[in-house]
Amino acid sequence: MSWDDKRPMSPHLQVYKLPLTAKLSIVHRGTGTALFIGLILMVWVLAAAAAGEESWQSMHGFLSSWFGKLVLFGFTFSLYFHLCNGIRHLFWDMGKGLELEYAHKSGIAVIVASVILTVLTWLIA
Amino acid sequence: MAEFKLPANSIVKIGKTFSAPKGGDKEQAKNTRKFIIYRYDPAIDENPRTDTFELDLDNCGPMVLDALLKIKDEMDSSVALRRSCREGICGSCAMNIDGGNTLACTKSIADIKGDVKIYPLPHQPVIKDLVSDLTHFYEQYASVEPWMKNDTEIAPDKERLQTKQDREKLDGLYECILCACCSTSCPSYWWNSDRYLGPAALLNSYRWIADSRDEATEKRLDDLEDPFKLYRCHTIMNCTEACPKGLNPAKVIAKIKQKMIKRKIS
Repeated sequence: MSWDDKRPMSPHLQVYKLPLTAKLSIVHRGTGTALFIGLILMVWVLAAAAAGEESWQSMHGFLSSWFGKLVLFGFTFSLYFHLCNGIRHLFWDMGKGLELEYAHKSGIAVIVASVILTVLTWLIA
Repeated sequence: MAEFKLPANSIVKIGKTFSAPKGGDKEQAKNTRKFIIYRYDPAIDENPRTDTFELDLDNCGPMVLDALLKIKDEMDSSVALRRSCREGICGSCAMNIDGGNTLACTKSIADIKGDVKIYPLPHQPVIKDLVSDLTHFYEQYASVEPWMKNDTEIAPDKERLQTKQDREKLDGLYECILCACCSTSCPSYWWNSDRYLGPAALLNSYRWIADSRDEATEKRLDDLEDPFKLYRCHTIMNCTEACPKGLNPAKVIAKIKQKMIKRKIS
């Protein structure tokens, strides 16, 4: 929305204390974007594996580096957060859990669940 | 595309500071609090600023509105704000206090830690100081045609009756005072208020959708069937957090979305 008013626009993000529900909404968007980009990387990984041993070795080298691991870790967390929060959204779409108290509790549950699932995945894998 | 930064003419500068006036006796006030207030004067060609007013809370009413009126009466009469009922029913003194939208008259100063920061309702054109232009907000309210539509003829001396159960369906809807706290707290409304109706207008649309005496339910739903008018709600829930009347616009919007789906599949 462009601002073609001569009068000032009152501050918004600059002054608003976002509640937990709003912060998680931002994270949901962020993880969704990360998953989109991550899937492109995933295709790249598959293509490297399909292109023969040499290219796979160099891809494997990247994935084993600290940076590669960080990317994979971020992807894992994004996947679990987006999944858990997506389930929360499904309940909301059914009209359930929209009272402030439950929206807060389910938000905290999503954080806890996605962290535990991420850590578990990395411990097992 | 959402514009997260303020336009150049809207960047807030630091303004003046007013110290607490000395009490009736010679003694300096002890229980003081700083009120940092957004100021904009359309008469001078300057960016908005924040002025700081130090108040003696031992000599001030308990609510933020009391403090604002004390500042206006005793320190700077040019501070502009809307207020009327001072008891949370008119919705005039809606503003952004301590980072959240609420009514100055029902917000207790004691509930705020540290300096009390007061801004106009977010992401609106500012007329002066804490007075923002809500013309667009009211137009959106009017666009949902918030009146009863009923073509059934009825004798002028008869009422349109409603069962107790049907009347209860309007609880949580009819209490809206149109203060705009919810709509102007919503990031989706900030970025898309040109096309998204916002929580207040949607709640008031549902107030008539849910009314057993209204016969225009289908037409009302048709009007909301739009990628922006209704579906820009992403359940961020700032609206419900902000509502000074304790209503739940987020839940009401979810009910409208459910009605949309139900009529599609039935």
